[in-house]
Amino acid sequence: MFVEEIMHRDVVTVSPDLSLAEAYRVLQKGGFRHLPVVEENHLVGVVTDRDLRLATSRLADRPFTPEARVGDVMSAPVSTAHPRDPVERAAHTMRDARIGCLPVEEDGALVGIVTVSDLIDAFLAVTGVRRPSSRLELRLRGRSQEFATLTRVFAELDIPIASILTMQESDGRTRVIVRPETIDLREVSRRLCSEGLEIVWPPPLACQP
Amino acid sequence: MPTLIYGPGYRQYDLGERHPFSPIRAEVTLDLIRELGIDTVPLVPEPATVDEVCTIHDPEYVAAVEALGQGREVTGFERFGLGTADNPIVPGMGEGARQLAGGTLTAARRIMSGADDRVLQLGGGLHHAKRASAAGFCIYNDVSIAIKEMVDAGMYVAYIDIDAHHCDGVQEMFYSSEQVMTVSFHESPEFLFPGTGWVHDLGRGMGRGHHLNLPLDPFTDGDSYLATFDAVMGPALSWFRPDVLVVQAGADGHASDPLADLMLTSRDYEAIFRRLVDLAARHTKGRLLVTLGGGYALHAVARVWAILGLVLWDQPVPHAVPAEWRRRWGSLLGEAALEAMHDTSVEPVALRDEIDAHNRQTAQRLLDAVAPLWL
Repeated sequence: MFVEEIMHRDVVTVSPDLSLAEAYRVLQKGGFRHLPVVEENHLVGVVTDRDLRLATSRLADRPFTPEARVGDVMSAPVSTAHPRDPVERAAHTMRDARIGCLPVEEDGALVGIVTVSDLIDAFLAVTGVRRPSSRLELRLRGRSQEFATLTRVFAELDIPIASILTMQESDGRTRVIVRPETIDLREVSRRLCSEGLEIVWPPPLACQP
Repeated sequence: MPTLIYGPGYRQYDLGERHPFSPIRAEVTLDLIRELGIDTVPLVPEPATVDEVCTIHDPEYVAAVEALGQGREVTGFERFGLGTADNPIVPGMGEGARQLAGGTLTAARRIMSGADDRVLQLGGGLHHAKRASAAGFCIYNDVSIAIKEMVDAGMYVAYIDIDAHHCDGVQEMFYSSEQVMTVSFHESPEFLFPGTGWVHDLGRGMGRGHHLNLPLDPFTDGDSYLATFDAVMGPALSWFRPDVLVVQAGADGHASDPLADLMLTSRDYEAIFRRLVDLAARHTKGRLLVTLGGGYALHAVARVWAILGLVLWDQPVPHAVPAEWRRRWGSLLGEAALEAMHDTSVEPVALRDEIDAHNRQTAQRLLDAVAPLWL
């Protein structure tokens, strides 16, 4: 999954010369929190609703007035992403820099924006239930051969697989959560057990020793 | 007297010899109901027409189901959820699915016309079927077709689903409707097919607050189930004020069911059925339409649904299973052909108290979530 698949393309931007009050109105009206700041077609910064509120707060050391320029309170330089960056790369960048959005640039032009919310949506798309399906949890010894066995058994029974999630356990084994599009897991569980795979959930289908 | 709806055409909804959703389940039940002395001649329904099915389903999907059932080729049938282990392509599947839908539609019309208050449709309850796809053994969503007709006639319908699986198909069809309330008691989507039916799924737009989901922990027993049921049903129906109750009475919550992990006994089912009759008396002038649904341990579903019949016909549940019935079906039921109508008592479940506490919290979270919507 690439950034261009989850980014917003119609980006609302502001000029660094806009007043803080005007920028705040843009955010309120749009219902979002992040505004890329663009000058002569170049991305020069990002300003968030938090930046605006902190800058103008009476609790600040030297509060800005609502008439101050966006250019004076924006964050710069800006971390950005490329449309063909993997989604997880964008997530790493945002975590490392502790920021909530990444403007997306291609050939020097601003072409989109991704936010934490988009990453959560991507996470839901990967882990979430998009098709009616059951849940079968297994533990593999981390060998590719066992994955081949796993998918072959489902294929032999004409059971579509909605998703497969994997997690490495500390002992080197692999926890696998399969979402098969079937209401009846009995036969597939029996065959997986007889092929030597370990079923963790549901307990009634766990393999007999 | 209630009306019993059943036709020999229901046997056409047969997804294969080894398929769990077997028409034999209704046949065995009907025979037990008769042996128990409920003296009624089933009303044989007409199958639903393709047009009637299309009030709910995508015409392209319906055309594919009908064509495949007649042995004709359809390219790209996979996108309709067909040709899988759960929903294999079998001869006559369109006609079979319309037979079941016709039964539920007939039941609805009996109630709409005032001919009946209580109707038992001895089939149907195909609550997983979506607008344009089959899922979980379900091809045409008979309950949704029936509900749609009642809604179009201006009725307010409360749909109560006690199948162990979430009624994703029915909920989705009416998710934005203010005329339909769906209440589903099911094993938590965290663990069981179809993976939907969370507490916070409350409906959309005008339908918000009209869709109640009670995801129960695996191994929930009858006492905990009934406590959850009681906590929610009274307030829900008092607020919604339906004209009719439509109940999908899947019996796969039974402790012996091979496809789910709830721990209900036949006595718990009797208690649920009596509550449904009481709720209908209190909220819908007695109007109550009950269909079958899931349920895959044959000896259990036959007794549970026969008990449903006895309750609807206001008859007590006798101690013994009629000997004649056991003789007739004994070989099919195997050693499970119990002599008593009710299960013998089961051992308490491990972690029972934790499970119950979690279920009560689930019910409370649901009531808290709908409180501002029910003003």
